[in-house]
Amino acid sequence: MSNILEVRDVAKFFGGIRALDGVTLSIPHKGLVGLIGPNGSGKTTLFNVITGFYVPDRGSVWFRESNSMVRIDGLNPNEVFRKGIVRTFQTPRLFNSLTVLENLLVTPVNQIGENVAKALYVKSWREQEIELSKKALGLLKTFGMLPYVNSRISELSVSHMKMLETMRGLMTPAKLYLLDEPTAGVDYSMARELFTYIKRLRDEQNLSFLIIEHRIEILMEFVDYVYVLHNGRLLSEGKPNEVTSDPKVIEAYIGA
Amino acid sequence: MIGFDIVGFIISWLTLFGIYAILSLTLNMESGVSGVTNFGKVVFYGIGAYISATLTTYLILMLNGVDIVENPPYNINGVILLGELGSKNPVLNIGLFILSVFLSFIVAGFVGYLLSYPILRVGPEFVGFTLLSTGELLRIFLLHFEPVGASKGLMAIPNPLGWIPDSRVRETLYLIVILAFLALTYTVMKRLLNSPLGRTLKSVRDDETAALCMGKHVPKIKALVLFIGSGFTGVAGTLLSYYFTSVNPNMFVPSVTFNAWAMIILGGMGNLTGSLLGAALITLVDRLLTFITPLLGITVISPDYVRWIIIGLLIVVVLIVNPRGILPEKPIKTPALQQVEEELKK
Repeated sequence: MSNILEVRDVAKFFGGIRALDGVTLSIPHKGLVGLIGPNGSGKTTLFNVITGFYVPDRGSVWFRESNSMVRIDGLNPNEVFRKGIVRTFQTPRLFNSLTVLENLLVTPVNQIGENVAKALYVKSWREQEIELSKKALGLLKTFGMLPYVNSRISELSVSHMKMLETMRGLMTPAKLYLLDEPTAGVDYSMARELFTYIKRLRDEQNLSFLIIEHRIEILMEFVDYVYVLHNGRLLSEGKPNEVTSDPKVIEAYIGA
Repeated sequence: MIGFDIVGFIISWLTLFGIYAILSLTLNMESGVSGVTNFGKVVFYGIGAYISATLTTYLILMLNGVDIVENPPYNINGVILLGELGSKNPVLNIGLFILSVFLSFIVAGFVGYLLSYPILRVGPEFVGFTLLSTGELLRIFLLHFEPVGASKGLMAIPNPLGWIPDSRVRETLYLIVILAFLALTYTVMKRLLNSPLGRTLKSVRDDETAALCMGKHVPKIKALVLFIGSGFTGVAGTLLSYYFTSVNPNMFVPSVTFNAWAMIILGGMGNLTGSLLGAALITLVDRLLTFITPLLGITVISPDYVRWIIIGLLIVVVLIVNPRGILPEKPIKTPALQQVEEELKK
C-alpha cells in the first residue's frame, strides 16, 4: 500500500532541548494511525513540523501528490493546507466571534465569494454558499450540534469546541487529517461516536488520519497502527495490541 | 438664537458627515472587521486630498496658458489667477474632479498595499504605531515641500461645481455628490462584509494562526483590505479638498485618524451601520459647536476643547452601557442563513 505521508529522520531542537530527535514514520493511504506518548514527548512538535509551523533542523517530510511524493517541510502552513493536510489544535483554535455555522463555512477552499470582485455580486457565489451550508448543516446534524448552529463559540462547551474543530477540517477537501487530542474533554459515548465517524470517513471517503490521543482505550479500539513517541524518539510502533503489550511502552507510561 | 442658519447648518453637517463616514466605514472594515490596527488613516486621506489639490491647481493654470514657473499655484499670483480662472470652464472642472477621484483611489490604495508589507511581521500594536508614524512623516514632508505650498498649503482649489454662481445651490449639489460617494462606499463595504470574503476577514482577525492553517493567505488578505480601504479613503480626501477648496499640512494631524476611531468605537466595531451612526454623532457635535459658539459670543473657550471632552464622555458612557458599541457586531448575512432557518423548522 502506498504512503500518503512520510516523515524521514526529522529532528527539531529548541536550544538544548531535543523536542524531536530523528523521528521516522509513515502513514499509509487510508490509514488510521495513532500517535501516543507521555506529555512532552514531541507529539505536538511533530504536528507543527508537518504543518509548516516549524522548519525541521534535520530530515524531511514528504506528502503524496497524485502519483509522486513531494517534499513539504519548509512550506508555510497555508501552503501545507493547500496540499491537502488539515490539522486541529490541542486547545481548540476556533474563530471566537463567529458563529458555529460561520466557523464551518469559513474553511472550504476555492470559495468564489472570497474573490473581491465576485464577492460584490451575490449571484456569483450564492449557489456554492447554499451547497456548503447544506454540507455544514449535515455535519452539525450528524454530531447533534444543530441546536448550536447560530451560537457564538464562547457559548459552547469544550467538548463541542473540540468536535467543531474536527468538523471544520471535514469541510475542506483535505486528504490527511492531523487531529491533536480530538476527544479531550469529550464524554465517553460522544468520543466513541466521533471515532466511529472518523472510521466511516476513512472507509467511505478514502481519507487518512494521524491522531494524537491520550484516551488510549478508545484510540486502540479504532486505529490500525500506532506510533509511540518518548523524549523525541520513536519508542515503539505496531498494531494496537502489539504496542500495548510492549514492555518499553508500559514502562514509559507507568514506570517513568 | 437669532441668525442661526438652519439650512446652512444641515448642509455643512451632512457634507462633513458624508466625508467622515467614508473614513469610518473603511476604517471599520480594516480594523473592526479584519483586525488591522490602522492608526494611519490620515495618510491615505492626506494623499487623496493633496493629489486632487495639486493636480487641479496646476492643470487649471497650465491649461489656461499660465506659466507655472513664474506663477505657481502656491504663491499669491497663482492664487489670484486660480480665483479668476477656476470657474470659467465647467467641463474642465468636472473632468479634473473625475480624474482626481480615480487617481486618488489608485495612489492611496497602492500606498496602502505597499504599507501592508512592513506591518506583516509585527503584532497589532506595532502595526498601529508604524502607520501612525507614517502619517506624521507625510505631514512633516508636506510641511516642507514647496511645490505643494509647504506650510501654507494650496488654496483656491477650483470646486467641480465652482461655476454655479449661487453658493447654496452649489453646496447642495456638492453635498449630493458626496452622499453618492458615501452610498457607493457603503454598498461596497456592506457587500464585501456579507460575503465569504467578509467571513474570511473576520477569521483572520479572530485567530491568524488558525486562519493560516485553513489555507488563508493572511498577508495577501491584509494587503487587499488596505488597498480597498485606503483607496476609498483617498476619495474621501479628494472630496474634502474640493469642499474646503484648500489643503494644508495641519489638516492631516493624527487626530483625524482618532476621530474616525472614535466613530467606530462609538458606533460598534464590526458593524457598518454603527459606523454611519458614529460618524453622524461626532460630526453633529463638531458642527453644533462650530455654529453655536459664535452665537453665544464666548471667546474664552475654544470649541475645540469642548469638542474633545464631549466625544470622550460619549465614548465612556456608551462603553459603560454597551461595551461593544451602540450597534454591536452581527453575524454576516449570506444565503446560508435561509438554509439554517429551513433546517431548523423541520
